[in-house]
Amino acid sequence: MSAPAPALAKPQRPKVIVRLADAAVAVASLSLIFFLLLVFFPVSFPRIIVTSWQRGYLAVVLMVVTLVLDSFLYLRVAYLRSAKPTVLVAACLGSLPIIVVVGLSFLMESAVTQTISLDLPNLQARMNEEVLAHTYLGLVSAVFLPFLVIRLLQQFKATR
Amino acid sequence: MSIKWLLWIGLYVVMGVLVPWATALSWAHQHGSELRPRVRQLFKRGELGLVGLVVVISVIWNLLQSQFMQQTIALAAVLLAVIGTMAGDVWIESYSRQSTGTAWNSERTWRDSRNLAFLVFTMSLVVEILLDRFAKVAAL
Repeated sequence: MSAPAPALAKPQRPKVIVRLADAAVAVASLSLIFFLLLVFFPVSFPRIIVTSWQRGYLAVVLMVVTLVLDSFLYLRVAYLRSAKPTVLVAACLGSLPIIVVVGLSFLMESAVTQTISLDLPNLQARMNEEVLAHTYLGLVSAVFLPFLVIRLLQQFKATR
Repeated sequence: MSIKWLLWIGLYVVMGVLVPWATALSWAHQHGSELRPRVRQLFKRGELGLVGLVVVISVIWNLLQSQFMQQTIALAAVLLAVIGTMAGDVWIESYSRQSTGTAWNSERTWRDSRNLAFLVFTMSLVVEILLDRFAKVAAL
């Protein structure tokens, strides 16, 4: 049997290689928005976050926002580099933000519990500031850490 | 409040980026050289990542002295340290590649270091403003 003609062979699209710089711009923009909201709405913006935490929406909102952002970022990188998205990376991006947000929610609950147990003055305001800080750190972690893990895995795979 | 933090971050931008650039121009002028480096050329080996690392160290130090709960301090410090290390790593990788003669792309190094330094600067701004808010609440 003869070999297939080169013109008929499908060109292989390279797999998406994630670079931290791609995720860095997105997280930096997110931080900038957070900063501007804190500066221009120093009372109402934190209040919205604390209210959604008290009603139990905060973790869900964080999961949805980070999942959408991570997926968008990954697909954008794939489109710009004309590369093929892989199932493994998609699975990582689908699960890691959720794992990170859930893990950090437990950490936030423990910080709030400890604040309450210390019986310090101005307790409510301290608690609100802890929730605000954890929300920001959770947002950044859930967007950046999955890309960091994927980057390290890809580097490890390439070295082997 | 916003001006205070813009001044704080501006100090790092001036001392870490503009002063070295001005010094390079002044050196060229003093030695009668044709050298007129742009910021991008001066930091093309990923040195901006090192500036980011310096900013991160100062923010972590401020965090350690704050009255936030240990969990919050630990999370913020670890996250900042990871991102700062990644920013510094751009320069390390660039140096290693150039030293060993491995393929090196100055365009990519500049882009990576610029993006990671931007991330470090914006994150530091937010963490500093959170520290300031908490200090005010704790002082009441």
